[in-house]
Amino acid sequence: MKDSDLIVLQEPKLTLSDQFYLPQVLVGLGTTMKHMLRTLGGADRVVQYPEEKREDLTVEQGGFLRQTYRGVHRLNKDEAGRVKCVACFMCSTACPARCIHIEAAPAPWPDREKYPAKFDIDELRCIYCGMCEEACPVDAIELTHEYDLVGHTRQEMIFDKEKLLAVYDQTVKDEPM
Amino acid sequence: MPPPWLIISLVVFGASMGTVAYLILLERKVASWAQDRIGPNRVGPRGLLQPIADGLKFFFKEDYQPAGVDRALFTLAPAIMMAVVIVAYAVIPWGGMVQTESGRWAFQTASLNIGVLFVIAVLSLSVYGIVLGGWASNNKYSFLGGLRATAQMVSYEIPLALSLLAVVVLFGTLDLGVIVEKQAHYWLGFIPAWNVFAQPVAFLMFLVCIHAEANRAPFDLSEAEQELVGGYHTEYSSMRFALFFLAEYAGMILTSAVCIALFFGGWHLPWIEWLWPALAGNVDPNHPAVTTSILAAVARSFIFYGKVVAVIFVFMWVRWSLPRFRFDQLIGLAWRGMIPIGLVLVMATAVLVYLWGPNGRPNMRVGGWMALALLAANVASVVAAMIAGQLLPAPPPTNRRMAVDGSRFTRTPLPEGTS
Repeated sequence: MKDSDLIVLQEPKLTLSDQFYLPQVLVGLGTTMKHMLRTLGGADRVVQYPEEKREDLTVEQGGFLRQTYRGVHRLNKDEAGRVKCVACFMCSTACPARCIHIEAAPAPWPDREKYPAKFDIDELRCIYCGMCEEACPVDAIELTHEYDLVGHTRQEMIFDKEKLLAVYDQTVKDEPM
Repeated sequence: MPPPWLIISLVVFGASMGTVAYLILLERKVASWAQDRIGPNRVGPRGLLQPIADGLKFFFKEDYQPAGVDRALFTLAPAIMMAVVIVAYAVIPWGGMVQTESGRWAFQTASLNIGVLFVIAVLSLSVYGIVLGGWASNNKYSFLGGLRATAQMVSYEIPLALSLLAVVVLFGTLDLGVIVEKQAHYWLGFIPAWNVFAQPVAFLMFLVCIHAEANRAPFDLSEAEQELVGGYHTEYSSMRFALFFLAEYAGMILTSAVCIALFFGGWHLPWIEWLWPALAGNVDPNHPAVTTSILAAVARSFIFYGKVVAVIFVFMWVRWSLPRFRFDQLIGLAWRGMIPIGLVLVMATAVLVYLWGPNGRPNMRVGGWMALALLAANVASVVAAMIAGQLLPAPPPTNRRMAVDGSRFTRTPLPEGTS
């Protein structure tokens, strides 16, 4: 290794109180005590989550903009209340996590050839990248801003077509990102 | 009627176990406060039932024993940790002496005249728990944690003993109860004659050493999470782990109690006995520990307990303030810093006792001038050690050259489009 590939690290020069260590310990203890007293005085930064939500707070209080969050998927419906999806497999092809499973069937309606007989998304495998949303030619799949997604079993977290359509019904007023 | 020592030992055992449970809650609370959080507040009012939830959780966890462990030692190690600490509670002088018709008895489990020695001996045994736990786990991280703990304990036993010795030389006794009694008076009529004011450097050394003995930050190298997963208790789970965990806090109570007895006057609360004379002895003015009132002895125990909790708060405060030492810094602090200071300190105390003690003998109550001289000796020993430290041979030069590439000073051009 050549000398030009090396650098000599200069350590910071220690003052006398740094060398003796104890004065700096006291400074550090003072800092934590200041924080403790401030917290006990009610200046904590805690958001009591289920009761208090960050989306309701301002940025200064630790809030966040819900509109920029990519959460649970939904399957959109058209004006007639039918699923918009035409089972073209664009989303499952684009999906980097391979979490979308579609089974196509001949559409019962005259305006399209296919529709999804099955449409499952494994919400645990999904990385919420939004590629499916971008790939969709008919704007059928969209990511909502729902972030509080929980379940008791893995099976429960695989959302089928009915559940995804139900998410649409719940979030129909939300403007997607 | 069972003998008083039996009742006291049972009460102390129960109270200390209850305190340990709540110390864990306090630890979490202190950590939260230092980090601008509020900590556990869901279980019970203000989170006060959290210890019960924690304890139940430990009971319901699977007691897993990995393949290849030494079964006997794996089970024995946490038991040793817990047992030695509880044994050492026996010599803590909670409430001085009580005089009744049946005679004079100490308000503690066992009034040993070698109390200080007993505590040191038992504290040294607790390293077996760590070493055996690390060895029996058949895990290289646990083993490394055990090795580190050994080196650390061996190094810090010496300054610990030296700082104790400074006190023992001064009072000429190894009985913790007598050491406390000799601090229960006043200099100039109002300054409490606590040892911490006469020997602050010995107190600081003792405080640092009990931090090291407790294996807590900044001396928690034996369980350094970032390097050793969990250190010596990596493979432990369920109640076995809980025993290690409880033993750490029980050990903190023990070492804090010894600290209080040696340096903060034990059960002595200054000025309060002017309101309640029985608290500072009503039998013999030369023996303030002896009281006829059992109620006063109980009150003394509570005073002692309050002081112990205050010292434990310092433990937690330090833990959430200071980063961990590097291993060479850890050993250097003991061998290059505290041991020389401690040696000078013990010598200075011995000389002062020889010069000013009654007939050159140590068995004495420390007077005001003696205290001032001790304070001066303490400061002088630190100054002397600082000067001597400059004269010590310098450590070998460190290699400060490092490759540019791969470091944060790298000259490799960044990929296009990144900034």
